[in-house]
Amino acid sequence: MGREKEKENPSQKALNLLRTRLSNPNFVFKPLSDSPDSNYSKLKFIISSSITEACNNSILLLGPRGSGKVAVLELVLSDLLQQYPEAISVIRLNGLLHGDDNCALKEIARQLCMEHQLLFSKVASFDDNSQFLIAMLRECGLAHKTIIFVLDEFDLFAQAKQRLLYSLLDAMQSVTSQAVVIGVSCRLDVDQLLEKRVRSRFSHRKLLFLPPSKEDTERFLEHILSLPKDSSLPHSYTVEFNGRLKNVLADERFKELINTYLSFNSTIGQLMRFLFQAVSYMDLDVGFLSLENFKTALSSTQRQPKSECIKDCSILELYLLVCMKRLEVKEQNSYNFNSVMTAEYKSIHDFQTSDNYAGNVCLRAFEHLLQRELISFTDNRGHNQSVEFRPVKLLISPAELYHGLKSYRSCPAILLKLIAR
Amino acid sequence: MAKVESPQVTRRTTRSYSASNDAIESTKPIEPYKPTLNDLGFRQQPLSFEDLLSCLPGRRTQVLELLRLLGPLNSPMFPILIYGGPSTGKTSVILQVFRHLNRPFVYSSCVTCYSPRILFESILNQLFHRKNSGNSYSSIKRCEKPSDFVNYLREALESVIKNLKGNSGKLSSKVSGQPNGTMIYLVFDHLERVRKWDKSSTILPFLFNLFDILKMPEVGLIFISNTSPDTYYFNMGYVEPIPLCFPDYTEDDLRQIFMANQTNRKLYSSFLDVVLRPFCRVTRRVDELSAVFSSLFKKYSQPLSDMGVAPNEDMKRRLFSHLQPHITSALNETFLSPSWPPLLKDEANGETKKKGSSRMSRIHEDFDKIDFHMSTSAKYLLISAFLASRNPATLDASLFDSTGVSDSRKRKRKPSEKSLEQKEMTELELLMKGPGTFPLERLLAIFQCITSLAEDSLDEEESHELTIEGGSSGLMSDVLLQLSSLCNANFIIKGGSCPLEGSTRYRTAVSEDLALKVARSLKFPLSKYLYRR
Repeated sequence: MGREKEKENPSQKALNLLRTRLSNPNFVFKPLSDSPDSNYSKLKFIISSSITEACNNSILLLGPRGSGKVAVLELVLSDLLQQYPEAISVIRLNGLLHGDDNCALKEIARQLCMEHQLLFSKVASFDDNSQFLIAMLRECGLAHKTIIFVLDEFDLFAQAKQRLLYSLLDAMQSVTSQAVVIGVSCRLDVDQLLEKRVRSRFSHRKLLFLPPSKEDTERFLEHILSLPKDSSLPHSYTVEFNGRLKNVLADERFKELINTYLSFNSTIGQLMRFLFQAVSYMDLDVGFLSLENFKTALSSTQRQPKSECIKDCSILELYLLVCMKRLEVKEQNSYNFNSVMTAEYKSIHDFQTSDNYAGNVCLRAFEHLLQRELISFTDNRGHNQSVEFRPVKLLISPAELYHGLKSYRSCPAILLKLIAR
Repeated sequence: MAKVESPQVTRRTTRSYSASNDAIESTKPIEPYKPTLNDLGFRQQPLSFEDLLSCLPGRRTQVLELLRLLGPLNSPMFPILIYGGPSTGKTSVILQVFRHLNRPFVYSSCVTCYSPRILFESILNQLFHRKNSGNSYSSIKRCEKPSDFVNYLREALESVIKNLKGNSGKLSSKVSGQPNGTMIYLVFDHLERVRKWDKSSTILPFLFNLFDILKMPEVGLIFISNTSPDTYYFNMGYVEPIPLCFPDYTEDDLRQIFMANQTNRKLYSSFLDVVLRPFCRVTRRVDELSAVFSSLFKKYSQPLSDMGVAPNEDMKRRLFSHLQPHITSALNETFLSPSWPPLLKDEANGETKKKGSSRMSRIHEDFDKIDFHMSTSAKYLLISAFLASRNPATLDASLFDSTGVSDSRKRKRKPSEKSLEQKEMTELELLMKGPGTFPLERLLAIFQCITSLAEDSLDEEESHELTIEGGSSGLMSDVLLQLSSLCNANFIIKGGSCPLEGSTRYRTAVSEDLALKVARSLKFPLSKYLYRR
């Protein structure tokens, strides 16, 4: 506690600032908004034109997770709310929460009531709520107020009967209403999931969110990591921090490192996650970001969970794994604990006895393996069968097992010999 | 986790540590106590950094990395997923780190909160109840759906954070017990359990996306799981939380853990020299090892009259030779699988007996007997059930009509190449299938056969008189009663009905050792009737 109270040193403040920035998507996506052909400008144009022209509209925002669909949308909405404070009301739904039609309509009613200071009834039925929604759409249309429905995880709304989508889009067919439906999804084929009656009422306007280009990435890094000139931080510190950062960013090794990372995680969200890790590795005593920080962050993202698991195994568990692998090599299509024990384990220990344990000890090790999810039952049937008899399969490839054994600290030689064959 | 690790806690920590663990649990149920914001913190004297590291031996790198990811006071964080095998100190590290930082957090374990509703309500209760003493949120908020939960949670978090901000603003002077900062952390323990829940396909993506749904930078999410992140893949996808791996303890770590809080360190260290290595080849889990070691250490120090003595080389050797016979037996006895019914415990001991040397046989003598009571007819019934599930039904007639004749004839046949192969196949099949099922009629027929045989051979024993010849109807009802009690004891499992015959089929889970033992107690020649392929 005492340590944390005396936090007047600038490096801690800088760290706090960086972490706050990274977890604030509005800040991260701000620089994207200036160019005219960015998604931000397109989206803003579409929504604002449907507000000013008082018409209905619908649009899909598609792109992988973490590509900033919701963040850009939120930026647009907050701008528009400032521009036309009286003419918009936003209803936000999430497919994870409101995938069920009943629940979604209830939530719409609740948010509409909150927005317009009406009394919300919890016990209202589906019909009541949908009538209320249609009435509200008409009223808002008459008052020239646009209702914007944001449907996050749009694919989950398109799963069951799509009653919500139908009633929403159907209500928008009338002239009096004035609403915009914005679907956000990671599935690029989401419009194929829609029923015919829904699809025909949906305008097929789509905005694709692509991973950032190399130049954009560089601009991002600079924008996020450099400290502002006009903050409470001491000026000399800011200058030195930014200078060192520039050196790091210009370094060839750093560029290579970022390219390695982006080659398998290309979205901005994942880049932010990487930067967050790098920033939290920053040494507070030094107070500046270094190349080392990024290196450790990269190595901690490149984990190999299976070989970690192998390292945690005890010797006996390794024996069992090798036995199972040998059974798989023999093309025995299904096996269980008993067949592993009689066919392989016993035969290994015919000539080598130091690790020969009784059946129940092995069974316990076998259960550990199940717990570690290195092996699993092949089917969910036969719950009344005991563990020994249920067929299992390996969840680790022979190559992974081989490398795991090789890097194991004190692996018995016989195991290596058995697996190499 | 608290339950799993309890032996470890008492072993290696001071009283204040274990008290702190109790404190979290005990604050929940106390109703009349007026909860305040302070309850979200630890309410104990915060640990210093050195104490934190010393009370968690072998976890230094993990603690440091966790502290880095949590960051300095009031800094937002990305969600973290902490993973590692059971009893690697995940929960303890989190709780102790929060005690050290003295920041507000909400802990909920998916073991005790075994359904979404209970999980949601437990989190909300912890948040709401501590809102402020004046508030009257005495009744539990009923909340089943994730959508309701998010609404309530947002409301609760907003008020808590507002309070925290107010407190940190006006309390420039330090008041002990006040949690630090304006961040609030939600800890979800045992996340792997959620995968087994009914609605896991919606709840898990929801939990992983909670950070994005809430959009509140003041909330930190920490997930704790037994299994690695790659076991959580869905077709739905989510932005992965930052993984933090807790590997199993190494042998040196284990030594440190077990050495803590020992009264006679020298003696215990010589004890660990003997036992740690062989046991580590089997398991490195602290909870299992501590159970074995506590009983083994008693045996180890048995010959010593004075517990405070520091052992010299000679004494070590003597103690070692005293302990040695116990090591292998302890290895085989103590790792009893939890999935076995407790009645079958002696079966495991029987196995150790088989490979026990003459020196060890003394220890195991008493295991030869069955340590539970069973009536004679129940024993016969069990044996016949065992025979019915092991032997193929087609051989019943030849086995029980003329004892063992067909068996000997079979053996004379010369095994050809093809039959050997076939034999192998059937053997494998038997191993795969496990014990077979049988209808009730077959069980009763075998039962009658073997009881009548036993009557003939053992008629000198009056006590074993089974009234077969006298009125079979009376016997039948009695046998059925026995059968149902055997079913209840999990010796015989009632399977699904056969689709063709429509009658219920049975199966027995009894292992061969137990069956042999039961047969021995009846002096029944079981092996004669057992068909070997």
